[in-house]
Amino acid sequence: MIVAALPILGQLETVMRHVLDWFHSTLGLSWAWSIVATTVVVRMILVPLTVKQIHSMQNLQRFAPQMKEIQKKYKQDKQKQNEELMKFYRENNINPAASCLPMLFQFPVFIALYYALRHFNQHPPGGQLAIAHHDFAWLHFVPSIIVPTTSFWGGYVLLVVYVGSQMASTLYMSATVDKMQRTLFMIMPVVFVFVIAHFPAGLVLYWVTTNLWTVGQGLITRRLIPKTPLPTLERRSSRTPPKNESPPEEAASEPRDEKPAKPQQPRQVRRKKRAGRR
Amino acid sequence: MNAVLRAPSYLGIGLVWLYRLTLGALFPTTCKYHPSCSEYAVQSLRKHGLVRGSALAGWRLLRCNPWSRGGVDPVR
Repeated sequence: MIVAALPILGQLETVMRHVLDWFHSTLGLSWAWSIVATTVVVRMILVPLTVKQIHSMQNLQRFAPQMKEIQKKYKQDKQKQNEELMKFYRENNINPAASCLPMLFQFPVFIALYYALRHFNQHPPGGQLAIAHHDFAWLHFVPSIIVPTTSFWGGYVLLVVYVGSQMASTLYMSATVDKMQRTLFMIMPVVFVFVIAHFPAGLVLYWVTTNLWTVGQGLITRRLIPKTPLPTLERRSSRTPPKNESPPEEAASEPRDEKPAKPQQPRQVRRKKRAGRR
Repeated sequence: MNAVLRAPSYLGIGLVWLYRLTLGALFPTTCKYHPSCSEYAVQSLRKHGLVRGSALAGWRLLRCNPWSRGGVDPVR
């Protein structure tokens, strides 16, 4: 491959092999668990970035009705639609959740792992003896992580787990509200499973680990930090007037002044949404 | 730009397409900018050639982080 000739990639591969070897020799993990450990370390480094992403994604969901409105309005012109959405972000002070940099950070790791596993396949550390001793096996159903995934029955299990985990992580991380795009992202793993099937099983293991991490992180962040205080406050204020009979205070009187206007706004939006579904 | 001078930029555009068909499809995300980072790269390579175009695309990728604002950001 041309890409293999690039010196940076060669260095990346060496670094990756050293990292895996450290987990294997120093911490005594099996090669497969070393991959899992490496993945976890990479994702831990990315935690601040992804937490920020999840927060802005939750913020984004607050504006979903208005954004759907824009998407409907410029259905014909995708370019214009995007521009209008961006303008809407700017006007409402929204920071779009998605960004290229955190994703970009995972490419070198992934590529390095690919080459490291390929190297292991050609020159297995410990030689043929290590293979005979099942040094590259994982959890009894993956006999070797350095051979293509489809060369053993356990690989198909791994692939099914991959598709499931990829779909689950899409549910948690995909930043787009666009329904078509979301569906596309859900179909993607089913298509890519055919490409991935030829990769070494260790690479699929990396993928499954990183996906499961994404799902876990999504679940935890959602539970720990409810980052959508604004809509709940609005909803409460629209519900409270009939129940609320406490004497007006200085601080409380301000939001109450807005109350008559607020219940009407969500209703209008809802009507438009329903009209769009028909 | 002259066709001969423009030739190297096609290498860059080819690489962007290679990315789009391989890794880009495997790691689905939507960019926070418009045009998206890869589209920006193609446009800047067309407009400014391989060296300047790649530099601009790289700078754009660095700007596309969770702390930036995003938005409409065409190639100048």
